[in-house]
Amino acid sequence: MPKIEVQDRFLYELLGTELTDEQLENIFPVAKAELDGHDLDEHVLKIELNDTNRPDLWSAAGVVRQLRAYRDNILPFYDFFSTEEETCDSEGRRLIIHESAKMVRPYSIGFAATGKIVDETILLNLIQSQEKICNNYGRKRKTIALGVYRSDLIAYPVHFEGADPDKAHFVPLHMEEDLTLRQICERHPKGLEYGHIVADKPVFPFLYDNNNDVLSFPPVINSARIGAVEVGDENLFFEFSGTELDTLLLSAAILACDCADMGFTILPVRCEFSEETAYGKEITVPFYFQKPVACELSYVKKMLGVDLSGEQVVSALKNMGVYSVVDETSVYITVPEYRNDYLHPVDIVEDVMIGYGLERFEPEMPNDSTVGRITDIEAFARKVKDLMVGLGFQEMMYNYLGSKREYIDNMHVDGKNYIKIANPMSENYEYVRPSIIPSLLESESVSGYATYPHQIFEVGKVAFLDDTDDSGTTTRNYLGFMASASDMGFNQLNSMISTLFYFLNKEYTMVELIDPRFIEGRSGKLIVNQTPVGVFGEVHPAVLESWGCSMPTIACEVDLDLLNQ
Amino acid sequence: MDIDVRNLHPLEIRLLRHVSLDEPITNQAMIEQLGYNIGQCNQAFSWLMAKGYISETGRTSKTLYELTDTGKQQQQLGTPAERIVQLLTAAGALSLPEIAEKLNLDKSDVGSAFGLLSKAGTCKMAEGNKAIIASGQLPGEIVAGRVLLNKATTVLIDDADLSDDEKSFMIKNSKKRGAALSPFKIVEREDVVYSLTETGSAAQKILEEKHITGEELGAVTAALLANGEWKTSSFRAYSLNTPPARMIPGRKNPYASYLQWVKDKLCSLGFEEFDGPLVENEFWNGDALFMPQFHSARDIHDVYYVENPRHTKKIAQPYLDQVAATHENGWTTGSRGWGYEFDHEFTRRQVMRSQGTVLSAKTLPQARVPGKYFGVVRCFRYDQVDATHGADFYQTEGIVLGKDVNLRTLLGLLKMFAEEVAGAEEVKYVPGYFPFTEPSIEVHIKHPVLGWFELGGSGIFRPEVTKALGVDVPVLAWGLGIDRMALMHLGLNDLRELFTPDIESVRMRRGN
Repeated sequence: MPKIEVQDRFLYELLGTELTDEQLENIFPVAKAELDGHDLDEHVLKIELNDTNRPDLWSAAGVVRQLRAYRDNILPFYDFFSTEEETCDSEGRRLIIHESAKMVRPYSIGFAATGKIVDETILLNLIQSQEKICNNYGRKRKTIALGVYRSDLIAYPVHFEGADPDKAHFVPLHMEEDLTLRQICERHPKGLEYGHIVADKPVFPFLYDNNNDVLSFPPVINSARIGAVEVGDENLFFEFSGTELDTLLLSAAILACDCADMGFTILPVRCEFSEETAYGKEITVPFYFQKPVACELSYVKKMLGVDLSGEQVVSALKNMGVYSVVDETSVYITVPEYRNDYLHPVDIVEDVMIGYGLERFEPEMPNDSTVGRITDIEAFARKVKDLMVGLGFQEMMYNYLGSKREYIDNMHVDGKNYIKIANPMSENYEYVRPSIIPSLLESESVSGYATYPHQIFEVGKVAFLDDTDDSGTTTRNYLGFMASASDMGFNQLNSMISTLFYFLNKEYTMVELIDPRFIEGRSGKLIVNQTPVGVFGEVHPAVLESWGCSMPTIACEVDLDLLNQ
Repeated sequence: MDIDVRNLHPLEIRLLRHVSLDEPITNQAMIEQLGYNIGQCNQAFSWLMAKGYISETGRTSKTLYELTDTGKQQQQLGTPAERIVQLLTAAGALSLPEIAEKLNLDKSDVGSAFGLLSKAGTCKMAEGNKAIIASGQLPGEIVAGRVLLNKATTVLIDDADLSDDEKSFMIKNSKKRGAALSPFKIVEREDVVYSLTETGSAAQKILEEKHITGEELGAVTAALLANGEWKTSSFRAYSLNTPPARMIPGRKNPYASYLQWVKDKLCSLGFEEFDGPLVENEFWNGDALFMPQFHSARDIHDVYYVENPRHTKKIAQPYLDQVAATHENGWTTGSRGWGYEFDHEFTRRQVMRSQGTVLSAKTLPQARVPGKYFGVVRCFRYDQVDATHGADFYQTEGIVLGKDVNLRTLLGLLKMFAEEVAGAEEVKYVPGYFPFTEPSIEVHIKHPVLGWFELGGSGIFRPEVTKALGVDVPVLAWGLGIDRMALMHLGLNDLRELFTPDIESVRMRRGN
């Protein structure tokens, strides 16, 4: 979940009032935000945004926009958006997307902003927005790369093309050397981090102005001159490149609204593509691309359980900053410029819910009568557990992931039917448990100090490879038990098994087993109805030695799914 | 001081009953009068001292004589003098070397013994240096020696009790060190003299009043029951405050018991349990939940992938096609979808189940309407293991299907969980976000011990989830974070402790 940090003064300034932390906490749910902390020394508010489909909320201006709509009942209004019908004047600012860009990163759009001097706070906020949009929403710059530039230095039109990585060159930010795009990928820290996004393409994205002064190599790094925005700048140019046009238009809309809220005047830029896009060959950005969305009032009632009038629905949506109209059957919303998260009418329903006030909905007990029950295997497992407790065993519970050392090396087995994790975080959690016995022996290995005898068991899941299932694996419910003491041996084990199976009412036979985990001649398989359901035996001293166990130990493991058939 | 005579051992009782207030209490007296052995005396004295029933009044040192191995032999076979008289009586005149040879004695021992005998006139030396019997009357010293040897087989001989004859025997026949060849070893001993205290006297009176003699019956044995002795005797009262020996019982794990309690609670609320395999695929783990395949939570850094087999053979139809179409363009769910090309290979990629909601989704195609389902299921996350994150952990999740379920019934359900499962005092609802529910609600509760915390997340499954899986009614989906309550219940504050392999730690864990 995105987390942002905001200078508290800046937030209060945008809100038009200073709120206590408690007041913020009370109003934050409207934006699905949580106050994570307030650093009183640095005057920084830490805010967590829960909605991963609302990138418009991931900035101070965005959160405040939502809060003000709710608190002050103000519908946000922005006059700089072009639509398919109406185009704002771009005053000669153009961004030309050359055909070569299609080979690497098909879309680039941009707009400019002026009229506000960038101070420390604004700069921090712009950097944070850039990072949240590109990383959280733009999949680490893969689908969105956002650059901010010093508009004063730019000679329009700006050009975006697929350039020869070995010929195009410039001095990248934070370096003094003039490098080719490929060299940047190899040498610049950002090149090493993001170069892989374009590395396998024949051309690399390249942004430069009409004087051939370089803006950037998106999505990797800005130039050291035009791309080095700093405190005191007043004229900015924003550029967004990526693979999905709607995502870029939305990101541009969010940044434009944020800048407007922070006091900038937004200057549209005409973006000219080499071929038709969903919104024409030329798009003047910021561009409003969203379509109206409707929701039937009966659906609102069905989902929320309250019969809200059309007026109530419109008013609730207005609280959310959403303009709507109603007729007899439906509500029609104008999707705010900075949002694109209405996938289904149900998304309108949620806005109505929040705007109306969640606390105003009276909880109602579900009155459908249904029968509660546990699974058959759970019922059987409980019976088994009760018997094991009666036999004097302590129930244990273990993790289901473990190491090669625990599951394979210490057990002296080959582990060929074990499930391995492809991306383990540590070698301690590299395999899925194929058996409960290693877990039990781990207990023994760390519990030598505990009063003997040790008699422990677990009823839990194991999983291993199995060709008969589509997944190539199977998950089973097992009983495993182990006993350790100076006089523990096969005779006691035999009695335990006999007692357990008598009370489970299962006839069994034992056949000899050769298994490196056990002493040969003192171990076997348990057979029920011609099916092997388990193994048992005196644990082999070599296994005990590997685990560092010093007491004679017996162990047994039974497949409860098979036994319960 | 409270006097509890039930704390007294029979050895103490018999002693207390026996002695009077001014009488010196010594080892010797108790050995003689009560038939105790030295060990029993010492036990009784130390216990009674500790209770303050007797106190030390003085010490006496004495010289005692203890039989050596040589002494034991002489006691049985006779002393050299006795044996010489016996031999000469039977065999007539013999020279001293002949006597030594026949009796297998040292010549010096024979010499000194014969000296004693001839001095007393018992024997004399006849012609040819042959010894013969004279008066045949044994000297007093030898007679006294025989008495001492016999007596020493049962008690130590006290120097103070010796007659003159006995004394002269002992001087010749005992040594302090290197006494192996002497019949007696000299032992210097300091005896403590005790006497009854006031408290001891009071205890004595209580024993008398209660008719406790120390002869009461101890353990009830099968023989005792059979011979009926209990009918005529009384039973010794045992102390109730003796620290008991440790027992190690068979026991359930308190965390398992807690989870079982949660399951039973949910059953009592009309929920039916579901379960499923640990290995899942991207289809059920994310796609079926309408999480776009590029969703950040589906990253390699959030989910554990199975190395082999990398892919499941197939995904059940028609769900695969329906879910894929829903992602791409909304299919017939009323949604516009995510608008990207669904990856049919990625969807078969196998993962370790990362959220319990997977099984809620998997239950949908078979679910009854109305229906309530739940599961307490193990999930796996790519997380650094610490006090609040485990490599694998339990999630408690479920669904409610019904023609008429809605936001208000969802709130009612959450209220029911808050009160029934968590014992909440107050409940607060907050809008939340989950990719698979809309609307989404978080429920926060005020717990009597833990204060305010987030009990769980919930919502109404998006139509993109339910319709693609063949369900046409609204479905409430919920998850409860019960681990926090489980930790409190068990008095723990580290999630890793829930799955500890440490036997002693689990044995001692109680649960509230």
